[in-house]
Amino acid sequence: MHFKQTTSEVIILLGISVVAAFVVNYFSPVGIALTGQWNDSRGVISTRGKDEAVVPDLEIEDVTVAKQIFDKKQSLFVDARSQESYEDGHIKGAVSLPVIRFASMIKSFQKRYGRSQPIVTYCSGRTCGDSHRLAQLLFEHGFENVSVFIDGFPGWEAEGFPIE
Amino acid sequence: MILDNIWLELFSRWLLGLVFIYASYQKILFPSDFAKIIYGYDLFPLAFINLMAIVLPFVELCFGLALVIGIFPRSAALILNGILLAFILALSINLIRGHEFDCGCFSSLKTSFASSTGHWIVRDIILLSLGLQVFFYGGFRKACLIRNLKPYTVAAEKRQTLSVDK
Repeated sequence: MHFKQTTSEVIILLGISVVAAFVVNYFSPVGIALTGQWNDSRGVISTRGKDEAVVPDLEIEDVTVAKQIFDKKQSLFVDARSQESYEDGHIKGAVSLPVIRFASMIKSFQKRYGRSQPIVTYCSGRTCGDSHRLAQLLFEHGFENVSVFIDGFPGWEAEGFPIE
Repeated sequence: MILDNIWLELFSRWLLGLVFIYASYQKILFPSDFAKIIYGYDLFPLAFINLMAIVLPFVELCFGLALVIGIFPRSAALILNGILLAFILALSINLIRGHEFDCGCFSSLKTSFASSTGHWIVRDIILLSLGLQVFFYGGFRKACLIRNLKPYTVAAEKRQTLSVDK
């Protein structure tokens, strides 16, 4: 009797929870897809959420390709991580533009770099979406040529490429 | 016995409920970040990560609310105890195998999802003890909207037994 009663009560409460969860997720501006992209060998992990900015077409998946772009010295590498992480170590010549401080820093960034400036954003690897978020923010502010180096600083450092 | 204290049951139920409501708040606001935390545990099938990130915060919210306003409190405590046990188990497994996950992806998150594992295990054990008190409490529960789906008391059981005997 107790068992049946408890089971019924749990089913009622669980039912309400599950319905509320899917309804809110469907209408929420930060709702996520029912399945995500969690295989980091296929690129940056993502929930495929409405607020997530992962665009696979922008991704530079190979560290050596990123190094070739670096060696041409035409692209500006932009670090999307926090200021502290940047100061601890970053790709040589990269500038810091943390996603969380984007609003306060974008004006001065725009004054220094033209819209056609080729930009490569990066953060801390394939489990980090900030490089994609930064790329989207830069597109929204008129920058036309932005790509995302998905292995980020750890991938670059592991290859022994120039850092400072 | 102190565990049968009516006020202790109310205190445990409200505290546990409020903690779960609070815990669900950040997860509902930032489902993507919560999904990445689940991914970081490296214990769950990748296909279920999004579903867990969608449903779990609302289970915490609804069952937490059920405890606070007193709707099926015993059943709500049962499920929240199960969730706490699962948390303790998952945290302990990662503590034992030395698995740490720092994706550097919570720049948007102000609170401490990523605190020390030991701290969270101790916190969850304390919460579990409150939950067990609520679950095993056998007396009258104060401030409840709906105590049971069907009122079932020892007296009712006795009446039923008597009528069968007759």
